[in-house]
Amino acid sequence: MTRWVVERMETALDRFQLGPVSLDLSPGSAVAVLGPSGAGKTTLLRTLAGFLHPRQGRILRDGVDISRWLPEERGLGYVPQGLGLFPQRTVARNIRYPLEIRNASDAESRTRELLERFHLSALADRYPSRLSGGEQQRVAIARALAAGPSLVVWDEPWQGLDVVARYELGQVLHDLRETDRIPMVVVTHDPSLAFSVADSFLVLHEGRVRDQCDATALLRAPSDAFAARFVGFENVYDADALRGGAPGSFRTWLRQWAGPEGIAFASPDPSAVAPGGPLWDTVVRSARPGPTGVTIESRCDELLVTLRVAPPVTPPLPAPGTRLRFSLRPESLLALGPGASRGVAI
Amino acid sequence: MGESVPELNPAGESGPPVARRRWRAGGLWTGLQVVLSASLLLLFLLPIVALFTYAPVSHIFGAASNVNVRAALWLTFLASGVAVLAAIVFGIPLGYLLARRAFPGRGVVEAFVALPVVIPHLLVGLGLFLLFIPGTPLFRFSQSIGFPVYDTIWGVVLVMVFVSAPYTVLASMLSFRAVDGRVLEAARSLGAGSAVAFLTVTFPLALRGIVAGLLLSWARAVSEIGGLLVIAYAVYPGGLYTGPVTSTISIYIYDEFQGGNLSGAAAVSSLFLLMAFALFLLVRVGERSGWLPWHRGELAP
Repeated sequence: MTRWVVERMETALDRFQLGPVSLDLSPGSAVAVLGPSGAGKTTLLRTLAGFLHPRQGRILRDGVDISRWLPEERGLGYVPQGLGLFPQRTVARNIRYPLEIRNASDAESRTRELLERFHLSALADRYPSRLSGGEQQRVAIARALAAGPSLVVWDEPWQGLDVVARYELGQVLHDLRETDRIPMVVVTHDPSLAFSVADSFLVLHEGRVRDQCDATALLRAPSDAFAARFVGFENVYDADALRGGAPGSFRTWLRQWAGPEGIAFASPDPSAVAPGGPLWDTVVRSARPGPTGVTIESRCDELLVTLRVAPPVTPPLPAPGTRLRFSLRPESLLALGPGASRGVAI
Repeated sequence: MGESVPELNPAGESGPPVARRRWRAGGLWTGLQVVLSASLLLLFLLPIVALFTYAPVSHIFGAASNVNVRAALWLTFLASGVAVLAAIVFGIPLGYLLARRAFPGRGVVEAFVALPVVIPHLLVGLGLFLLFIPGTPLFRFSQSIGFPVYDTIWGVVLVMVFVSAPYTVLASMLSFRAVDGRVLEAARSLGAGSAVAFLTVTFPLALRGIVAGLLLSWARAVSEIGGLLVIAYAVYPGGLYTGPVTSTISIYIYDEFQGGNLSGAAAVSSLFLLMAFALFLLVRVGERSGWLPWHRGELAP
């Protein structure tokens, strides 16, 4: 079992700078890399894979510095966005590729094994363009495993998959972690899948590490508006959104509790007014029923506020333009950013 | 049935119902496309029909057994084959360089590659003539290494490479550029070094475009006449060519025409056309049957 350690790695790409990033990837660990577009997620993966060289810091594989090694020497399975399947090769020949170029004597049997493991035997002679998104993902991971990697880095594995395929892929990745004990770095935008696969999170913003923590810490104290939205907060306001507002208004009230990166709170229930907090008037824009109750989009002091009425809900749903009142206790607010009083909401 | 029509025209306007008018507009648009396309196709087709009409089959067979025609055809195929080989050896690497490597002045080189396509080909011949004029260093050099240019197959090859290689360079460049970089990165991380990744991934994926470029190069090479009129009007045996004194097929046909032998010119032209068609057909059949090793995933039914 191989251990990968990234020590204060910095990468420069044109004018973009990533890092410093530090990671400890022991066997069976999985890191989800989060961040908005342009945060440096792909740059991080491409540096790990050897397509970019770090300007500073080191990448250690079992203690050996491989920062300057070529991609083909690293023993790392890189699955790029779009998967990078070979369109001119069938499924079986895609999977056999890493074995072919190594002249592996067990190429046939190993390919067959992987086809069976990933339920691809029936599709062995098909070309990638004739596969569904989920099937293509399975080919990509089977091919990466054929090379015997000691680390798998995966850029947006769930991109373009339907709900069922996403669930199945989650199972595959879970299996990979539990059975093969191969450490993984996964870039994703999907919170539920990230939480199901990863045990730690790296939040990037404009090339800098905003947050690096385990799942519970991320849920309790997301570092900024992006991380707060990612973990599922529906009411998230950054510092810009909270500017302005008359004295005594909702925005002014929120601002006094906000951190440097803004504030977040879970959707309040207008039918259950909490004692001890001020009451705010809001105007309904739309309401839709769902498995967790009725979600109401409303506008309060020029801010969009999501409310949620817990089930059981009795019809009719509030019509657009209806005035509702909700209350928020300061304890239910989550200040965002470094130095903010965090971790009170959950 | 008759009552359903007015529903399509709720405003109660006089004239045809909306659906029918739309259909008519759509029909007009399609008709216009068909007429315009057919006109161009006719322009392509009619001169060929005229050639075959002017040359009865017996004349075409006659041309095929004529020693002089055979010599001209052999020279043309030989020289164009060497020119295509040169395009492969020199043009594909240049196309790869332009597609995949960043270097200062790449845009200028890219524009420069396209230059031979736009230069009138008589000027190409004149330029090469002046370059290899007796007494110049290049003339002496070409003589000393056994590649004399005037009225030899090497002169023919030189002109053909000049006018035809750009098609291979440009097609290769576009094809290499179209190969998804992420596919290459996947190959590298799977253990393929850069050379192996090129041979197993980049080249097979780009091959289709490269072959298309080579076909264009070959077609351009065999149809060349302007430059050859200056450099190698008559070709004497020497080098690769050991037959009788002859000229390329384009010059041969031109001479027949100039000499007033219209039916002879048409017969040789038809023969040459048939051979060119056969070659293109062979490539198409190869493509359809899948024995040309490119991008089968896209072609699979």
